[in-house]
Amino acid sequence: MYYKIGVDVGGTNTDAVLVSHTNEILAKTKQTTTLDVSSGIRNAMNEVISKVDVPKEDIKYIMLGTTHCTNALVERKELNKIGAIRIGLPASSSIPTMADFPEDLKTLLGEHIYMVHGGYEFDGRLISPLNEEEVKKCLGAMKGQVESLAITGIFSKTLPDQELQVAAWAKEILGNEIRTSCSHQLGGLGLLERENAAVLNAALQKVASKMVNAFKATVHELGLSSQLFIGQNDGTLMSLEQVQDYPVLTISSGPTNSIRGAGALSKVESGIVIDVGGTTSDGGVLVNFFPRESTQAAQIGGVLTNFRMPDVVAVGIGGGTIVRFEEGKCMLGPDSVGYQLKEKAIAFGGNTPTLSDFFLANGELKIDGSIDASILRAAIEKNVDIAFTEALIAVKNQIKATIEQLVDKLKTDSTEIPVIACGGGAFLLPREISGASKVIFPEYLEVANAFGACIAQIGYEEEMVINTMQQEENKALEQLLQKVKDELLKNGALQDSVKVLAKESIPLAYLPGATKLKVKLCGDLLR
Amino acid sequence: MRKIGTKEIEYIAMGSTVLGTGGGGDPYIGKLLVKQAMKTYGEVNLIAAEELKDNALVVPIAAFGAPMILVEKLFSGNEFTKAFEMMEEYLGKKIDAVMPAEAGGLNGVIPFAVATQKNIPIVDADGMGRAFPRLEMVTFTLHNIPVSPIAQADEKGNRNIYHTIDNVWGETLVGATTIQMGGSCAIGCYPMSGAQVKKAAVHGIVSYAQKLGEAILDAKDKNRSPLDSLIQEAAAIKLFTGKISNVTIKTEGRWNKGICEILGLDENQGSRMELDFQNEFLMAKKDGLPVAITPDLIVLIDAENAQPITAEAVQFGTRVVVLGMKANKQWRTPEGIVLGGPQKFGYKEKFSPIEELNKN
Repeated sequence: MYYKIGVDVGGTNTDAVLVSHTNEILAKTKQTTTLDVSSGIRNAMNEVISKVDVPKEDIKYIMLGTTHCTNALVERKELNKIGAIRIGLPASSSIPTMADFPEDLKTLLGEHIYMVHGGYEFDGRLISPLNEEEVKKCLGAMKGQVESLAITGIFSKTLPDQELQVAAWAKEILGNEIRTSCSHQLGGLGLLERENAAVLNAALQKVASKMVNAFKATVHELGLSSQLFIGQNDGTLMSLEQVQDYPVLTISSGPTNSIRGAGALSKVESGIVIDVGGTTSDGGVLVNFFPRESTQAAQIGGVLTNFRMPDVVAVGIGGGTIVRFEEGKCMLGPDSVGYQLKEKAIAFGGNTPTLSDFFLANGELKIDGSIDASILRAAIEKNVDIAFTEALIAVKNQIKATIEQLVDKLKTDSTEIPVIACGGGAFLLPREISGASKVIFPEYLEVANAFGACIAQIGYEEEMVINTMQQEENKALEQLLQKVKDELLKNGALQDSVKVLAKESIPLAYLPGATKLKVKLCGDLLR
Repeated sequence: MRKIGTKEIEYIAMGSTVLGTGGGGDPYIGKLLVKQAMKTYGEVNLIAAEELKDNALVVPIAAFGAPMILVEKLFSGNEFTKAFEMMEEYLGKKIDAVMPAEAGGLNGVIPFAVATQKNIPIVDADGMGRAFPRLEMVTFTLHNIPVSPIAQADEKGNRNIYHTIDNVWGETLVGATTIQMGGSCAIGCYPMSGAQVKKAAVHGIVSYAQKLGEAILDAKDKNRSPLDSLIQEAAAIKLFTGKISNVTIKTEGRWNKGICEILGLDENQGSRMELDFQNEFLMAKKDGLPVAITPDLIVLIDAENAQPITAEAVQFGTRVVVLGMKANKQWRTPEGIVLGGPQKFGYKEKFSPIEELNKN
């Protein structure tokens, strides 16, 4: 018998659950996200531990999904001094590193940018060999001025050895404390997007180390000696050591956790998940217990990357969404009072009618500290100048119409599929949605994201291009599959739990003979 | 004559994606490359075909290879000038202007990189008025202009000059060496006179691409729907509104073939569209009947932001509008239909113009 704690940090709330080894929820909490993030995490963990009587030494694993890195990027705060080396001359010099970065970020990060000879062709032949002297000269120029280094090589996804060699030389010249971000660990094909990811990753390594230390300290303070993990954006987990190497992969783990958590809570493997928060309802698609990924390139802090982000569509419906009536017509948001619900909403003495006010007044929602329902109804009537029952019907119809549009947008065909509600604002969702086979409100839906964090699996993927005139396609695909499987087992997946999420070979347009292979596997981390 | 700077390049790149009809490679890389070159070398003069002297030497410049490779092994930037210089050296004559071979996709912007570095004008014309997958599929072929000599250069410094017996062999031989060069290279081809450009090229296509790009990107500032602006500017026929419900891709020989299925919404509720693509979108069928056939242009547009979607980026569930645009009149001649029509791509259906197919 052992226990796990899952924590998910969102923009408004930090949620935590304590679950048994069979994923039964024993305690849950919602705490306010704090400015420093860490004290919110401490409050949430402390709350779930104190709610149940389990021996602390039996809490074996703690999983955290956090916004530390996203915040640092968006606010451009605490970013490292970085250097960047691109390996690929004479190719690639037409477009310099950070060419399409927002100006402020380029100024902040772009002081030590170098290109050196090297790189591979798609079929594994050298573009140029590495030149040790050339690389070490660039490294020498950065000495004492950078804290971490982004290293990106052409077709390093196929052959990473040049990136690894440059990383080894970096330790030699810049000292062992230099952190390196090798692009082959951070994304798929597409040099600029992968290089962007490596640059952002390098910039975030100090933030990640601080976050890891704070997390460790918090866990220690609470008297726990659990093994710690951090969630990635593809719904899989990383160890604390890995997070410090690849912090950029933690960005946007929130939506993934919600989608997977809602699926597991409702025991539905495919459907639509709608996570209702304070400002928006975020809809995602669950396919075989994993979120459907977007094919659109994801922008992070204004920078184009090729991350595996879940395909999420948001509409402006949340607990704090402002309700307006114009000429008798109900308009919802898209603006929201957000985290200021308890100051601005009518139910808490403010004068802004929000969606929460209507549901409180109708007795469908209870929040400590709100005014009496009958007084609230009168106050709403006075504010919107329409009879309450009439206004409530208009509000609910408007919610229903918006949510039905969202569901329709997410569906790929006209087959009716289940819709799973989750998040603190799930009470807003209608019990029936056209296009949905059923609407499920699972128990503990308000903490689906924290639950999602603690059921995360471990995953690994690789992609490469081969010349089918030199290599047999099926054989190459099988070899790639084996390589990915070995990697996955090395990272701690249980042998008999390994599942194939993707195994594809796609011929390249305009280039007969070249084919792209992609393999993605996942497995359970813990028993 | 007018100046083209980085601002205009944004619009042209967007318009080139529309003219790419799902293929031609994403112009994003090309746009960054040209903007970077313009930072150093400055703006470019765009001239109309009529402004050319009849005896002027004009050379189309293009990127050749797989878009997937181009986004990983970026150009050095010197390949294009190398191909240009080789052509001058070989012909023993100065080139007076460059032009795009293909206004659709990546190659709609690539020649600007050479024009700015060499400080020579670019002609407002191309050989397709869209994107096509093979080197011989240009209006120049219809006028018996030979593709050769072809000057080819890669980023490493390897160079070739080709003499081919016809334009199809140009595609065959350059294709074969390109894979050995690592999947991408730069070429100069179809060297021709000003008089030939006036007769054989698709005129005004760069300005047209720019207008299409402006229609999409500037609509919001003018409080207009980007989709409506695009339809108006392109004189396009709205063929279908719906949601992508399935995508299948298979290989047949050298083609990357696929079918994108769209289920109707709004006025097309209950109907179904199939878009056949072989790198580019080539055939649109509504409830089993063709409503647009190559060489007419079939453009898939994201209904959310009115931006064109390439065949590689087609994704389930996206709300889309399918537009049909008339091909340049040279493609609609009997010879043009043989070179760029449905039989060239192995379809049974005979070509019929979109305005005929959508008469009611």
